[in-house]
Amino acid sequence: MFQSFIGLEIHIQLLTRSKVFCGCKAAFGEEPNSNVCPICMGYPGVLPALNEQAIKMAYLVARALDCSLSKQAVFERKNYFYPDLPKNYQISQFSSPVGQNGYMDIEFRRRKKKVSIREVHLEEDAGKMIHAGDISLLDFNRAGTPLLEIVTQPDLEVGEEAEFFLKQLRRLVRYLGVCDGNMEEGSLRCDANISVNHLGRGLGSKVEIKNLNSFKFVRKALNFEIERQQDILARGGSITQETRLWNENRDVTEVMRTKESAHDYRYFPEPDLPSFKPDKAFLKSIETSMIELPNLRRQRLIRACLLTEQQADFICEERETTDFFERALSCGAEPQAAAVWLASDIQKMLNRSGISISESPLTPERFAEMLTLISQKRIHGKIAKQVLEVIFDENKSPERIIKERNWEQITDRKILKGVVDKVLERNSPVVKQITQGDPKPLGYLMGEIMKLTSGRAEPGLVKELLNEHLYLSFIQVLSMGGAITGKVNGAGDISPGDLNDVIRQVEEQGDIPKSIRFEEIEISRILSEEITPEDWSSLIIALDSYLNRGNTSGIVVAHGTDTLAYTASLLFWFFPDPPVPVVLTAALNAEEAAENLSAAVVYASEKKGGIYVSLGKTLLSPLNLKFERIAHNGFKNWNLQSPLYCSKDLSLSLLPLSDRKELTLAIEQAINQVCILKIFPGMRGDYLISLMNTGVKYFILELYDTGTANLRESPYSLKKAFLEGKERGVLFFCTSQQEGIVDFSGYITSHELWREGAIPMGSLTTESTFTRLIVSLLASESDEDLLRLMEEFSEDINFRA
Amino acid sequence: MIYIEDHWQGLFLKPQQLKKWKKYANSADKKIGAFLQFKPDLAHISSAEHGELEGVPFAVKDNIAVRPFKLTCGSRMLKSLNSPYTATAVKKLQARGGVVVGKTNLDEFGMGSSTENSSLAKTVNPWDLSRVPGGSSGGSAAAVAAGIVPFALGSDTGGSVRQPAAFCGVYGLKPTYGTVSRYGLVAYASSLEVIGVIAKRVDTARMVFSIMHGQDDLDHSSLEYQPLPEVPEHLTVGIPIECSRDLHYDIDKSFKKTKDTLGELGFTVQEISIPSLDYVVSAYYVIATAEASANLARFDGIRFGERAIEADNPEELILLSRSRGLGDEVKLRILLGTYVLRSGFQDQYYLRAQKIRTAIRMDFEKAYSGVDLILMPVYSYPPFKFGGDGLDPFSQKLADIFTCTANLAGIPAMSFPASMENGLPIGMQFLAPPFGEELLFKACSIFEKIFPAPDSPIYSTEWSE
Repeated sequence: MFQSFIGLEIHIQLLTRSKVFCGCKAAFGEEPNSNVCPICMGYPGVLPALNEQAIKMAYLVARALDCSLSKQAVFERKNYFYPDLPKNYQISQFSSPVGQNGYMDIEFRRRKKKVSIREVHLEEDAGKMIHAGDISLLDFNRAGTPLLEIVTQPDLEVGEEAEFFLKQLRRLVRYLGVCDGNMEEGSLRCDANISVNHLGRGLGSKVEIKNLNSFKFVRKALNFEIERQQDILARGGSITQETRLWNENRDVTEVMRTKESAHDYRYFPEPDLPSFKPDKAFLKSIETSMIELPNLRRQRLIRACLLTEQQADFICEERETTDFFERALSCGAEPQAAAVWLASDIQKMLNRSGISISESPLTPERFAEMLTLISQKRIHGKIAKQVLEVIFDENKSPERIIKERNWEQITDRKILKGVVDKVLERNSPVVKQITQGDPKPLGYLMGEIMKLTSGRAEPGLVKELLNEHLYLSFIQVLSMGGAITGKVNGAGDISPGDLNDVIRQVEEQGDIPKSIRFEEIEISRILSEEITPEDWSSLIIALDSYLNRGNTSGIVVAHGTDTLAYTASLLFWFFPDPPVPVVLTAALNAEEAAENLSAAVVYASEKKGGIYVSLGKTLLSPLNLKFERIAHNGFKNWNLQSPLYCSKDLSLSLLPLSDRKELTLAIEQAINQVCILKIFPGMRGDYLISLMNTGVKYFILELYDTGTANLRESPYSLKKAFLEGKERGVLFFCTSQQEGIVDFSGYITSHELWREGAIPMGSLTTESTFTRLIVSLLASESDEDLLRLMEEFSEDINFRA
Repeated sequence: MIYIEDHWQGLFLKPQQLKKWKKYANSADKKIGAFLQFKPDLAHISSAEHGELEGVPFAVKDNIAVRPFKLTCGSRMLKSLNSPYTATAVKKLQARGGVVVGKTNLDEFGMGSSTENSSLAKTVNPWDLSRVPGGSSGGSAAAVAAGIVPFALGSDTGGSVRQPAAFCGVYGLKPTYGTVSRYGLVAYASSLEVIGVIAKRVDTARMVFSIMHGQDDLDHSSLEYQPLPEVPEHLTVGIPIECSRDLHYDIDKSFKKTKDTLGELGFTVQEISIPSLDYVVSAYYVIATAEASANLARFDGIRFGERAIEADNPEELILLSRSRGLGDEVKLRILLGTYVLRSGFQDQYYLRAQKIRTAIRMDFEKAYSGVDLILMPVYSYPPFKFGGDGLDPFSQKLADIFTCTANLAGIPAMSFPASMENGLPIGMQFLAPPFGEELLFKACSIFEKIFPAPDSPIYSTEWSE
């Protein structure tokens, strides 16, 4: 087995107004050689003068990375000839940089790590040389702009982790406002050092990789290099110390220079610049400029506002978003609602208009005002979206908008009661029909009320008033078939039947209060083991339409037991925040059917909005449901301290919910790429590869324990499958065969799995992982998106509810 | 107090006088070749610029930037470079009315003791046209000694102001390191050098220094000038015992005479010891060449200067441009500097030299606890003939011992004409503690009263009559 050590050298361009040693503008993308002067052009006789803002930013970054700050930062000359380097030496730091011995905490795929920062030093950038056919052109606009180099210790291990660290670092420097962090434009650049060795033998020969100008290249180049070096070592060879270049066209690294031809930079102290000795006032100004860092702020928001990891990541990615969020809270916005709106509709508006939130007409005050209007029920969600558009178009406050357009809902009970009374009075035959037990015309009454109020009646209140008058809670029962509807045929086998039979039985038994009316709709008549993507699609479309109908106070889904864990979690992901309760129920046999169904109907009339699983009197979470035993109490939730009924974190507005065929096709396509595989002794790595050949792109591996599998060099090792998978872009999501958290901790084979890029799914069960994967595949446009959606929910749902 | 003789005052405001002066200056310079560029007409005089130097001409060594003059540094590499800016020290003098009339010859980039290392022109000593004017500010010293200008700026890295001043029989001030901004002085050895002034009279040097000094935002190694709180009435002069060795007969004679004269003039003269003096030349050349190797790296033919246009690629362009553009002495020093900075060799050379430098500073600190000033010869030899006069380049470097000491210690020093020996002026120098310039002026003034700077055979003021 091998181990790998990765260290990064990151250069960031500081966002100073002027260059680091002269007064020229530090701007990019301007006419070549327009921002130059004798100093940055290296004319004879000129001297560098240290830019106060640059040294301040340098100390700020060093401080944010918990470095010990230099009491005497020394500048040195790094000597080398290159046409784009005007003085043919670079003013840099060597013996006493701005900061040393810092660290940054990261957690990548559940593995927590302190990445040590060796040093942070300030230096000047070179110009740019462009080769155009026979000639070379030089642009010195960039020459002398301030660069900060951040060097880590070799604490990272794999490409993905290095990429993750780099993104965290980028977030930090953007947060501090010292760099815009654009890798493509070169304002953030990264070189990597990597050494691979046999396990337990410490650092090997160091190879430096250059030309990594995107996050993707960092990951790919490092993983390529790990493989290359492991191959050499496995064949008994040794690694040459050298510098290599990433070739993005061929996806390989290539030798640039070997140790023998390495530069001797002949560092010596820059005689033109005295060492920088920060005085008390300077250090104090660094402390006062220190802000709450994104990591800590993220943790605080998760704790204080009960945000999910994903919401917190979104809100804390950019400082202005976080600031906006917190200002909105201080104006009275409710955190959950604010987080959801920010990540969905507001983000969409911003993307469309191409501006940032601080530039938009949506102020935190207006945003909070809008949320308050919703929570006071003065407008509902759909109107709120329109209000948002008007804010962007006309730059007005929400109050003013709803006043001008008469969008405010009627929430005055007295007024609405008058309307409801009038409608009921006019429609006495219909009322009679309903009170006699046929809830169908409820929708008609609702429509009449809406007509009379020009659609401004608050639906919840209308429903409440109708219920008061008609003594009625209206439950839709969607039947999927299953044993709950089952009939025993002549041979003693169960086949799915008509739920109405059960319903009649329920009604006869009189277990359900009279005020509850329900209606049965048959979606399919199958046993749950026969469920197909089309059945799922039908159920989802039906649910969606009933949830939006307005006269439904609850929904029951009668299902079979075998695949209940899948369907339940699927609905949980699909309907993150249903307005009314959706209760799934099942029965092992016909005897239980009536009892379970009536319990489900009662739950559906009593509970808040959410997805529930009810089996008899037992109420379970749809997430992490496990069918453990064939018994009436055989279902259990794994890894949940307290049940979860909502999953507001996954926005699925992209899904084509209206078209059943399209949805069926999408689900089919997703499932066709997925394979659930339970690890077993003697399973060959080749087996997985043959599955890949049949089109499997995503494995859900059910591992032993909290994340172990055979990786010892042999035909039974999964390693080969992982290697092949990496090549093909196949992903491995890992769950456990036992109840417990998969976090790859504790075992050396777990560490190996982590290094190979397997993704631990934490507390999620195989079934919930599977449906999560299906839904994520529908919602994501790229593997990166997918990985983000998958990993975000592998966090410890266990400890939050 | 009169800082400058009457005939220099407001010269550029008196067209008649100016015309006569130009004629004189041209003819004098024809004999000595002090200037690389003599263009009084390039000078623009603004009516806003009043002050002590109103209308007074002065010359500037051609390694100090003055727009729109050239900035050749005596090098083929830069022979066509027009300076895009003006050095801070020059700007300050211009702001008080001073008028730059030309750029003076020098050893290429200030590297030499005879001005023979200039790649562009030959300058001779106004006292004897077969002898060198000293260097590297040879052009500036010769111009002052020939009476073309009342003062000229030079740069002193290891004695380049004091030694030519001594060779030409005029005063040469090397101020405390950092008191005069180096912005605009083409760097040879940044941590050692300073812009200095060469003048015919002590008071002129004093006034020019008083205008030039001061902290400059463009030079972060510059310092605010903080003069010593008081200048004692009675001065004690220390004579290092190490100075009497290996002196040329004429120098030795003049040194002794000076000691005696000082005694007669009321100075207390006492012997002191500067033990580290034995190491200064080695330390000086290690540090100076190390810094030079980096400072001169920018002359690559790419952005300015001579360019080998026929090169096929950037690397070849740099190589050819430098090979052609730089002279032998410059190449020698760059090679030496690159050598001493190599990784693995720094302990042995560069870092050791820095330690010696610290030792020298401490030796001087100790010495100044007992004396106000130190007297030393400027150079071990009198002005020598072209071609070395039996003084090879290596011996010329060894002879820097008395001057480069002040540069390593960062202290001020001023050379003054001490006597005439065999028809040639011989200079001695006073060294003072940091910011002790007033001590130097006082001591030199006292000596000036009994031995003012002698007029060279070329020197004339007839044009002003």
